[in-house]
Amino acid sequence: MYHETRAADGADPGGAVILGHGVSKLFGGTVVALEGATFTVKPRQFISLVGPSGCGKSTLLRMIAGLIEPSSGSLHVHGDPVGKPRRDVGMMFQRPTLMAWRTVLENVLLPTELVRKVTAADRDHALELIELVGLKDFAYAFPSQLSGGMQQRASLARLLQTGADVLLLDEPFGALDEFTRERLNLELLRIVAQFGRTTLFVTHNIQEAIFLADEVFVMTPRPGRIAGIVEVPFERPRDISLMQTVPFNEMVAEVRGIFDRDNK
Amino acid sequence: MSDESIPGLSAEDGLTWRRVFNHLAILVAFLTVWEMLTVTGIADELLYPRPTLIIYSFYSLFIDQGIVWRHLWITMATVLSGFVVGTILGISLAVVAGLSETARRYMKPYIIVLEATPRIAIGPLMLAWLGFGFEAKLAIVTLVCFFAPFINTLTGFLSADEDQIELMRSLGASKWQILTKAMVPDAMPLIMAGIRLAMASALGGALVAEFISSNEGMGVLLNNLAAVLQMSAAFAALLTLTVLGFFLYRIMESLESWIIFWHHDDSMRRVARKRQTYWSKL
Ligand SMILES: Nc1ncnc2c1ncn2[C@@H]1O[C@H](COP(=O)(O)OP(=O)(O)OP(=O)(O)O)[C@@H](O)[C@H]1O
Ligand SMILES: [Mg+2]
Repeated sequence: MYHETRAADGADPGGAVILGHGVSKLFGGTVVALEGATFTVKPRQFISLVGPSGCGKSTLLRMIAGLIEPSSGSLHVHGDPVGKPRRDVGMMFQRPTLMAWRTVLENVLLPTELVRKVTAADRDHALELIELVGLKDFAYAFPSQLSGGMQQRASLARLLQTGADVLLLDEPFGALDEFTRERLNLELLRIVAQFGRTTLFVTHNIQEAIFLADEVFVMTPRPGRIAGIVEVPFERPRDISLMQTVPFNEMVAEVRGIFDRDNK
Repeated sequence: MSDESIPGLSAEDGLTWRRVFNHLAILVAFLTVWEMLTVTGIADELLYPRPTLIIYSFYSLFIDQGIVWRHLWITMATVLSGFVVGTILGISLAVVAGLSETARRYMKPYIIVLEATPRIAIGPLMLAWLGFGFEAKLAIVTLVCFFAPFINTLTGFLSADEDQIELMRSLGASKWQILTKAMVPDAMPLIMAGIRLAMASALGGALVAEFISSNEGMGVLLNNLAAVLQMSAAFAALLTLTVLGFFLYRIMESLESWIIFWHHDDSMRRVARKRQTYWSKL
């Protein structure tokens, strides 16, 4: 059952962008994709969700995006119970999901086009975003003319075009090679910091999760749940060399420890 | 192309001309041998008419007697109307089936039965129901043209990109927007392939329909000419159909590269330029 009790959780919705209390999701009545997730996401926080396949990361994101409803528990975005997709929450997937028959510019303009007639100002805004993600010379290219990394850059621009202040990124660079992924991660940090958006970022990689985040939600499968929440205190802006430091690796060990504890 | 080449005749041009020349030489040699074989009586001229005679028959069919026009027109009308009706029917039924699980379930057994039945074999029945004439031919061509677009459109919808649809939903798109902006264009390459298959079988379907059921059309002309052993005219009629088939094929080809421009580099560049102009002027 899905409770619409906002005050009953006892948490203060004022300071939180996303508020989950005992959020569970069952598929087909038997598969427990997520069980009892309780968490808070504060404005402008960067949250990494890390965990093995099948621990409910995508399920949690899709519930926050309003694509599917929780089976029980309460889940609020900006104080409203989730129900259907909303303008201020945007999502990006592992696959670029660009439309092959639209130029980069037209793909980026899609979110606008779905709600109103596109104006010259919209176009200029989209072109700025395209430049921001490093595709300045490719605004009129078609997706098939772009590399995988460039396609994800275009999807990122499209996500920003929505104007959403909550960004849900489901393994956005997971299909790219190591080098491209590292570069895009850094650019993502720069962009998110510049815009001051709240971000939930799904990954399989512990180092990546810690490097990017203010807080890491460590998730474990069968049933999927949040097994621990680790705060990441490192200063921003962060440099890739942070990954070589002792405190960083101690934190990696701490996250590993949560998985190991769960395995016993 | 190199800079040193003679103006207007680069190395590549030279190669193309050489190829064209070779092809022409082989063709001329072939026709000459054929001509000689019939002139010398080695081949029976009654059954294998001389190339020069065939060329003369073109003149007589198209200009002197001019009997081919009416038949050609009838066949083309049959092909085009049957193609249009069959294709539209196939695509719209597929859209209904693609959108409704229930429709799909109830349609499925009939589709399987119809698919397993050779379409042309339904011809004589159509003849019995609709009589000699245009309606029966139209029905046969329609039937021949129905399946490929239907199956391909349905396949296109059922194999729609789930992530794409999820993305559209997350952007708050309506059902109609998801259909028109994502699913239909996404399925378009498959739909177009179905349409091309339909066109490819339409001419054949029309001719068979004319063989069995009609008193006019190219199929009838061909039948009649061959029956009275007017072979040079029959060859001319056959070659006319070859040319017709070729044009229909080319038309479908350009239609495809126009609609599915993102599968063709040239068309893609053209559209990119057009879009750039459009957005710059906005
Ligand atoms: N639509 C669905 N119907 C049935 N079961 C589902 C559905 N979606 C997800 N599941 C199940 O729920 C569980 C969690 O899935 P989810 O996709 O959230 O995992 P994940 O953490 O995102 O995994 P991955 O890292 O592989 O993406 C899995 O066991 C999955 O099989
Ligand atoms: Mg997932």
